[in-house]
Amino acid sequence: MTTSQTAPTAVKILIAGGFGVGKTTLVGAVSEVAPLRTEELLTQASVGVDDLAGVGQKDTTTVALDFGRITVSPELVVYLFGTPGQERFWFMWNDLVNGALGGVVIADTRRLETSFASIDFFESRDIPFVVAINCFHGHNTRTAEEIRVALDLDPHVPLLVGDVRERPFGRDVLLALVDHLMSLPVAAG
Amino acid sequence: MTAHWPYREDEFEDGEDGAGTMVRPYTITHGRTAPERDDLTLITVLTTAHDPLDAHGAAVRPGRLQPEHRLILERCRRPAAVAEVSAGLDLPVSVTKILLADLVASGLLIARAPLSVARASGGAHMSVLAAVRDGLRRL
Repeated sequence: MTTSQTAPTAVKILIAGGFGVGKTTLVGAVSEVAPLRTEELLTQASVGVDDLAGVGQKDTTTVALDFGRITVSPELVVYLFGTPGQERFWFMWNDLVNGALGGVVIADTRRLETSFASIDFFESRDIPFVVAINCFHGHNTRTAEEIRVALDLDPHVPLLVGDVRERPFGRDVLLALVDHLMSLPVAAG
Repeated sequence: MTAHWPYREDEFEDGEDGAGTMVRPYTITHGRTAPERDDLTLITVLTTAHDPLDAHGAAVRPGRLQPEHRLILERCRRPAAVAEVSAGLDLPVSVTKILLADLVASGLLIARAPLSVARASGGAHMSVLAAVRDGLRRL
């Protein structure tokens, strides 16, 4: 009886990118459940008074995290977390980032610059990532190579172009990340 | 499928959409703002214990539990991650962790830590990555 309810263990993948670029859409496209939303409290103590300047009278406010799940086996569940789009919430990423398998940076060719910060973040934390160029309705006037140059991506970072609303594309993006992870040299020791 | 989940990442919860937000979050925790244990992560998986025993081997009786505690025990009959419990309770993650830690400490709830995938220690095991890859291919 006790073994029948053995809990699975979990890993997580981070879905990053600028505001409105399609993070939750990608999560929803591949998740086995509709994206769930959880929130974390931001207090003046944790943010600093200045950062809450736009929030008015409230002492605390919240930042939302959207996430989904993919059960890959009875023993293993993958959680996909969309990261907060606003940079001033990135102090929260410590909790999010710890133990992450890797990341996906979604970028929009019409405003690539909104995803620079996510790329910098993953690079600075040595978190392997892939880049997914989201082109809604086929709006993409630049080649993958042009985009790679514009984003200043390292040559080994996979870059895929597609529509994040489509499950096959979302799956391919995640598969590219896993393949990328498997290709990385194992750290010494 | 995602039409009911539009981009709203910039919006703050302002309490309009539920009576649950009327209670100040830390009221539920009796004013505590930190959990008894700090090893609960967003993806720590929790399962309600079948026949919980205390440190002396005696059966634990869930005595003075709050409604939120009972909801958690109900929810975690099927294993659920901290983030999922938080979303289900409509409580902030930090508040949820305090309640979860209570239940883990009393033996009513079993916590399973996430797999270690730290790059510094060699990254995720190949067998884990292979399992993830196989699972993704079935999507």
